[in-house]
Amino acid sequence: MTPRRQFLAILFAGIAFIVVFRMIEPSNYQIGLLMRCMILMIVTIGLNILIGHAGLVSLGQAALYGLGAYVAAWLAVKGDVSFMPAVIAGIVVTALFGAALAYPTVRVKGVYLAVITIAFGLVFQNILVEWISVTGGSQGLTGIPRGEAFGVRLTRRIYYWVVAVCLVIAFILQYNIIYSRYGRAMRATAQSENASRALGINIGWIRTLAFVLSAMLAGLAGGLYTFLNLFVNYETFTFFHSITFLLMVILGGTGTLFGPVLGTSILTYIAEVLQDLKEWQIFAYGMLLAIIMFVMPKGIVGSVAALTQRFTAKPRARATESWPSRDVPLDTLLGARTKSTDSALKADKLTIQFGGLTAVDQVMLDVKPGTVHALIGPNGAGKSSVLNLISGFYSPTSGAVTFQGESIAGTPSHLLARKGIARTFQNTELFGQMSVLDNVLVAFHCQYQSQLIGTVLRLPRFTREEKMYLDRARQLLAFVGLSDYADELASNLPFGHQRRLEIARALALQPKLLLLDEPAAGLTHAEIEDLKTLIRMLTEYGVTVILVEHHVEMVMTVSDHVTVLDYGKVIASGPASTVQKNPQVIEAYFGTGGILAKPAATTGQPA
Amino acid sequence: MGEILQYLLSGLSLGGIYALVALGFYIMWAVSNAANFTHGDIYMLGAILAVVFVAMGMPLVVATLAAMAVCAIVGALIERILVRPFNKEPNAIGWMLTTIAAGIVIESGATVTYGPLGRPLDSPLAHTPIRAGGAGIYPQELILPLVAIALMIGLELFYKRTILGRAMRAVAFNRVAAGLMGIDVNKIALIAYALAAAIGALAGILIAPVIQAVPTMGALIGLKAFGVAIVAGISNARGVVIVGICYGVIEKFIEGYISTGARNAVGFTLMILVLLAFPQGIFGRKEIAKV
Repeated sequence: MTPRRQFLAILFAGIAFIVVFRMIEPSNYQIGLLMRCMILMIVTIGLNILIGHAGLVSLGQAALYGLGAYVAAWLAVKGDVSFMPAVIAGIVVTALFGAALAYPTVRVKGVYLAVITIAFGLVFQNILVEWISVTGGSQGLTGIPRGEAFGVRLTRRIYYWVVAVCLVIAFILQYNIIYSRYGRAMRATAQSENASRALGINIGWIRTLAFVLSAMLAGLAGGLYTFLNLFVNYETFTFFHSITFLLMVILGGTGTLFGPVLGTSILTYIAEVLQDLKEWQIFAYGMLLAIIMFVMPKGIVGSVAALTQRFTAKPRARATESWPSRDVPLDTLLGARTKSTDSALKADKLTIQFGGLTAVDQVMLDVKPGTVHALIGPNGAGKSSVLNLISGFYSPTSGAVTFQGESIAGTPSHLLARKGIARTFQNTELFGQMSVLDNVLVAFHCQYQSQLIGTVLRLPRFTREEKMYLDRARQLLAFVGLSDYADELASNLPFGHQRRLEIARALALQPKLLLLDEPAAGLTHAEIEDLKTLIRMLTEYGVTVILVEHHVEMVMTVSDHVTVLDYGKVIASGPASTVQKNPQVIEAYFGTGGILAKPAATTGQPA
Repeated sequence: MGEILQYLLSGLSLGGIYALVALGFYIMWAVSNAANFTHGDIYMLGAILAVVFVAMGMPLVVATLAAMAVCAIVGALIERILVRPFNKEPNAIGWMLTTIAAGIVIESGATVTYGPLGRPLDSPLAHTPIRAGGAGIYPQELILPLVAIALMIGLELFYKRTILGRAMRAVAFNRVAAGLMGIDVNKIALIAYALAAAIGALAGILIAPVIQAVPTMGALIGLKAFGVAIVAGISNARGVVIVGICYGVIEKFIEGYISTGARNAVGFTLMILVLLAFPQGIFGRKEIAKV
């Protein structure tokens, strides 16, 4: 089943359940239980976006839920604010807190968010109990008036529908986010930060977005809880509840559509049964969490899906087409460009030091547009460091880099990617757990015009763009001969195919400058011939290529210009034929022939 | 004047705890790029085991060593069972969930078996307080920052001078290369977790005579200590100890001049602000993304 069919199936089954349940005249207790369960589902759906897609863990989700609840309650009690504005205020405040918590932490390491959210949860508890004038202390806030919306008093019977509609909205929002460029970018950052940066994704921003979305859903759920319970108290929003939310998501299956809904249902039911266990209940939850991690880390839905796949999937031989394919419209894929005669890229006395070691020393480069410029040199000569400087992964110690006349030294890599500098990695960096097609689709992230709102609402422009980029991604796969592998996981590809995919992904950026870091390493002789053809084809369309490569035969035939580095310094630069005869180059590669040949470079940096 | 001295002295003592527990996080982080969220509970376990062992008739010193040894074994088991299998891919989060789960189990398990109430650990150094300039403090409390500093120096020497210490640094720097040099990376990680747990347990045992050992004493300390380690940059022992001791002192001053209730809220807010200003931590260096 395609994700879209799954989504619709779950959605309609869920709506049917909600309607039928209401029609069989349940008891007040049953209806209350289902309403609480639906509210918790809204929280876990948000948490699932965070854990299952952005790869981040929040251990303070109950506090965000509580924040939404208390803001709504406080406004309703002290400010006489009605249902809708109170709940919306709760969502806004939670979103702001979410942003303030996430932004400082996720830039460095995703792990930090877990710690900060636990801390937030504890501080929140602390404040609820101590700041009596606002929160009512351990008594909590009582006497919350029943809500009213559009002139209708929200009795318990009507409120059932309000909660149900909010849950349906949350469920749709989840689908619309995770199957969009935002969801793809979240999964990409969770799998490879370097590759995400090289595709123009702002990691701190996308992670903050994921957390803010999950916080907003928690805030919404909190507001709904307030007007259901008509009484809030700190006991509902403890660390234990945060763990329960986590357990619900993991039990159901992180990253799946149905997982959070299922996990929440099961655990709500179990909690009703196990109510009298007290201290042992916490113990049991801890054990349950550990056991699930060992026995089925994918959760119920994930494990079932994996099992059905194992039994129903028919392995088939996939056809690898020859590459580069000439049947794709490369000019539209690579974007219109005008060939200018100025330098595409210039490096002026570019230098980087690692501690006391100068890995790149006063390097001068002048790369003409639409040419292939090779960087060669022995291991440790500083070639990859130069590439990392140009693509913004390193910041130069001194010196300047200009790209199309604009100074770019020290600009972060994701901004350079948006300017049109694309790269591949020496040890291919694919998003291994994403499909081959999705790997290419991620690279279009920064070209979309649709913003978050348009994406969530699936406005016509979003649909149009999604279709267009899907088309382009398929064409790029055709270009590198991998059409038949589109739905395969990238990590399952053989090495040579991974290289091809990485190049297709880099081309999706419509690069003006393409940096290839040892693209021939590990390829067969025939594949190297194809690679040479591809590089020449790209330059015909005006793409400038900087090539770091050890394969000398390839460098000499494909390059217009060769710069030779040794110990971080340029020792020769010129057309391939002249460089080949340069005595210094020969010495750097083969030594002087005497006994005291230069020792191998020991810079410690990757070549 | 007496007030300020009092805050300073008890702050140093509290800071000593943070420093010791945070040192453990640093040791574990260095070898595995992961942490053990049960570490606060190990701190608690050390204190409780010491109380139990003394009650069984062991002398204090023997009980201390025995409790540390048990905790070291628990730390090693956590590494082997809960961290290593769940930390295989970069950016893995499994280890976080498994160790949190184990932390819950340890804490609630201790509450059920040992009981929710605190029990004292008798120490000759916690009988009569030293009084000076209007402030009073037990000698036991002053031991904590001293032990933290001594351990920091010891740890630095250990890392620089011994084969095992050098191996640990090598693993921290580059796991794969260390493995290629014949270092048993897994064994090093196991030892590091055991060492961290022993230090954490020691911190718990040292403070137990002053505050009583209770199952809930660990969670918050562990969390704050991890915060301390992050703010320090998790990159060297000295930074972790300095930030830990400072954080303790700051907390006591907040407690004194604002209120006990404000302590955690203000403290954590401070941490977040520092991280905003220094994303890599105060003593942290920017990790160069090798690509």
